[in-house]
Amino acid sequence: MRCERCGKELTNRIIKINGVTYCENCARLMGYDRFLRDPSDLLGNPFSPLDEIASSLMQMSELDFGNSTLTCPKCGMTLREFENEGRVGCIECYNTFNDNIIREMFKQQGNSEYAGRLPSQSADTEAKTAEVQVTRKPLPSKAGSDEAEQDNKQESKPEKKAEEPAKKEDSKSGLTLEQLMKADIGMLSDEDLEKGIKVAAEAEEYKLASRLRDELKGRKEGGSNV
Amino acid sequence: MSDWYLKEGKDNDVVLSTKACIVRNVKGYNFMPRLDDKECQSLLETIDKAIDKDTYMGGNAAQLDKETITRLTRLQILGREASQLVNPERKAFYYNDDVSLSITVGSGEHITVRAMAQGHDISVYKQAEKEAIELENKLDIAFSDNYGFLTSNVRLAGTGLKILYTVSLPAISKTEGGIAALTQRVGQYEWTIYPFAERGEIADSDVYIIASVNTQGVTEDEVLRRGEMLISDVIKAERACREEIASSKKEQSADIYGRSYGTLRYANIISRSEALQALGWLRLFHDYDESGEINLSWKTIDKLTMDILWEPGAPSRKASQSVASQKFRARGIRTILKGDE
Repeated sequence: MRCERCGKELTNRIIKINGVTYCENCARLMGYDRFLRDPSDLLGNPFSPLDEIASSLMQMSELDFGNSTLTCPKCGMTLREFENEGRVGCIECYNTFNDNIIREMFKQQGNSEYAGRLPSQSADTEAKTAEVQVTRKPLPSKAGSDEAEQDNKQESKPEKKAEEPAKKEDSKSGLTLEQLMKADIGMLSDEDLEKGIKVAAEAEEYKLASRLRDELKGRKEGGSNV
Repeated sequence: MSDWYLKEGKDNDVVLSTKACIVRNVKGYNFMPRLDDKECQSLLETIDKAIDKDTYMGGNAAQLDKETITRLTRLQILGREASQLVNPERKAFYYNDDVSLSITVGSGEHITVRAMAQGHDISVYKQAEKEAIELENKLDIAFSDNYGFLTSNVRLAGTGLKILYTVSLPAISKTEGGIAALTQRVGQYEWTIYPFAERGEIADSDVYIIASVNTQGVTEDEVLRRGEMLISDVIKAERACREEIASSKKEQSADIYGRSYGTLRYANIISRSEALQALGWLRLFHDYDESGEINLSWKTIDKLTMDILWEPGAPSRKASQSVASQKFRARGIRTILKGDE
């Protein structure tokens, strides 16, 4: 069953007023608060005055001091609903909540400018499945070597050896300026930050270099931020 | 025609599948959360008319029979809990012969075009794009010059594109700090990595999904290029870790490899996580086994892994942990391994 005002699916409470089904939110917006009261109120709950005070306080915390009552004129979605669900209800919402949507996009992706293809046009891409050199090969036979000695060696430092490949991968390829500019600085290792400062300074991207330096300094002074 | 995941793709020792998903919405209709049932029926009919019936079969989700639901779950169109089938009358599923191409209507956004391939294969993007363009030509798609393709979920607005690689990383997982280092590397490409698990589940395998994040500020080409650079790094790192473990702990690895095969081949009852762990070891040591006693193809390892990962019913569910279901799973694995010998 769905709310006849906003079309939202009804899950918890169904409120029927004058034959019309509302969700809790719409009933409240339509001013039918009295229908939303808990049944315990009707049973003479001795603590109902306390409940009312508590619910008033809870409602106060939801008071709007900004424009959170902003509502899409087409689909009835409120700004609060958008902020809670991260979804909009219709195309018009993009105009209604323009600032908030841009902020949300910026927060998630660090960008809000469209750079993709146009409808009905193919993307200009020549990206091909990368060729990864096959390193799969059987291990050389170790027959004839002192197996016991070898086993002992393997036992003595297995963890260290296992760690090496991941590290090798990191040190093999340096960060490019483009990667640095788009990277979440908090996610970079100290080593990458140090390298990044050099790369940014060489490219005369002093703002980026100083941001990287501040991050590194902050970590050294106040421990890891990660 | 055999189902898409039974084909043998590139780098399938690490990459189980490559998927491209493109979402679109139709102008003139509210987005799904605000679409009433009457409008929804009209939307389903409009989209149905635009779908090429020579390529696609299927239709309204309410009309899918049990057998088809199981097949679509195994072929990764529906989640294991088939949660997409809530309110089936508001949804439709279309798919081609081998289910490598599919169009879902009403699940999150109006239209989700999906192309899937076994192994490492970025050509899935072009396939999905071709299908998306066909729909864009036939339907009035919601698009703005500022935001790009408009979606209900604002995180998808823009290109509406997601590229996903499903990877099995037993060696990186077993390497101390391996997953943390990988997560950092993935973040540098502005992609994300998360363990394979459905909502509310605990991950119980070494399988991860590496997915693109950005739909704004990047072209489709940049997303694909970064993805290819990233997945190449991941494949190299996983293979290097396998080699390292197989050489530094050769005897132990060979032993666990043999035991894992034995468990899968002869177990009468096997839990999902035990089976996935055993398959992880088979994957890790497969290329380093010198005994020659175990004849197992990558195709079989991949099929078993995907069959178990996408078996209907979540691991948290009591049903999938029941003796009957564990027995059923063990029998299925035994049959496949017996056929491979």
